Amino acid sequence: MATEVEQHIKVDVEGGVGWIRFNRPEKMNAIGTLTRKQLGDAIKQAEKDDAVRVVVLTGSGRAFCSGADVTEMVGDGQMRTPEDVGNVLRNEYMPMLTRLRTMPKPVIAAMNGPAVGIGASYALACDIRIAVPEAYLLEAFINIGLAPDGGVSWLLPRLVGTGVAYEMFFTGKPLSATDAHRLGVINRVVPQERFEEEVRELATQLAAQPPKAMAAAKRAVNHALESSYEEALEFESYLQEAQAASQEFVDGVQAFLARRAKK
Amino acid sequence: MADDTAVGYENILVEVSAPIATITLNRPKVLNALSPDLIREVNEALGELDADSNVRAVVLTGGARVFAAGADISDMADRTAVDQLQRDQTGRWAGIAAFSKPLIAAVNGYALGGGCELALMCDLIIAGDSARLGQPEINLGIIPGAGGTQRWPRTAGKHAAMEVMLLGAPVTARRAYELGLVNKVVPAEMTITAAQRIARQAAEKAPLAARMAKEAVLKAFETPLAEGLAVERKSFYFLFSTEDQKEGMHAFLEKRRGVFKGK
Repeated sequence: MATEVEQHIKVDVEGGVGWIRFNRPEKMNAIGTLTRKQLGDAIKQAEKDDAVRVVVLTGSGRAFCSGADVTEMVGDGQMRTPEDVGNVLRNEYMPMLTRLRTMPKPVIAAMNGPAVGIGASYALACDIRIAVPEAYLLEAFINIGLAPDGGVSWLLPRLVGTGVAYEMFFTGKPLSATDAHRLGVINRVVPQERFEEEVRELATQLAAQPPKAMAAAKRAVNHALESSYEEALEFESYLQEAQAASQEFVDGVQAFLARRAKK
Repeated sequence: MADDTAVGYENILVEVSAPIATITLNRPKVLNALSPDLIREVNEALGELDADSNVRAVVLTGGARVFAAGADISDMADRTAVDQLQRDQTGRWAGIAAFSKPLIAAVNGYALGGGCELALMCDLIIAGDSARLGQPEINLGIIPGAGGTQRWPRTAGKHAAMEVMLLGAPVTARRAYELGLVNKVVPAEMTITAAQRIARQAAEKAPLAARMAKEAVLKAFETPLAEGLAVERKSFYFLFSTEDQKEGMHAFLEKRRGVFKGK
């Protein structure tokens, strides 16, 4: 008899929005082997599915994601080998996180609670972050004698500068939603009671935006993060040339003129 | 001269839009695999375009999705060394070697094996941001056979060449740009347009000077410095016998743009 596979990740597509939900609330959404597999599949599918115009990554229960399932890492009283640790990062996390950052549609982290360790890496790899006041970002690696991973050594200094990033890496102390908002890491802080609604509103709003133009914006930013100012200007000029030839531009200008005529 | 699409080819498209022409490898079902017929047609087309004085620069592309994914493996799997020697497929790029005008590769998607070597034979390479260049022959138990082992180190240096040849994994457009293998990275949908624009820029220059410059640069890969310098000096003096040199220098002094006739 086939046993039902646990759903560590829940996926819903609704109104152009692809919801990917960490679904292990009893474990504060810790990421284990099965979670990685299902999360990887969900992210890949969200990128492929044309019905998904915006992706929301969020958690069920009180946490966004509490990081790697440490009980699994030391399961059976046996530590995972160092080589395994490296291989999981290179072969499993790396492709997923890269896909999240480069897929041609907006990805929103809806931080319904704390994002810890590799969980914070996921939140930071998203394009936009929206959080409840109780949420926080925590680079917990130091607390178990590890170094930052999941791309935060690259992402966090770009978002907050090296000073704050080092403080987080060295102390293992949380960065509260309020402080993260003040630093520009979290776009909006929204009270629990309005959180779901506001996330849904933002996602729905983005799902109605011209998709190619949003994809181009994401491509331009990702290209610019690795180029000189002049290279970025030139790359933009070509992207804009392609976008100026699109139906989105024709429609956009017509709508603009119609709005102005009404005034 | 009006735009003109040459007929009589089955594996390529040739479009002349004076003063440039575009050759498109056109075997999409097999990712533009380089069959003997395709190679023969490219050589023939280049021969015709070399003789056509209306054409001053050429773009070579595989179209929007793929440049060329190497040779046809199903056709090669059971061949003997003697078969291969007699066919000498990899040595049959004489048309490119003899082509005297600027030749610009517009690379989208994969340029692998013979496809990558073909791009390396061109004078400039413009790559789409999703391009991948590589020599995966080692994965099949062979090595590059159309100049890869020689042109890679001459362009990208020994260690990058070794990495690509020994590990068989392709490099991204970005990496190829950093290695100096690719002149410019543009959004993939603009690659051919950008290459054609650059071809038009090159086509405005003095054709005889372009020819001499190209010859001299290619000599640099094959001769000791003193001999290369001698070739350069002779070409330099020779160009003072051309109308284009008089036009170019007088136009400069008169603060106008030179109009070059290739005489």
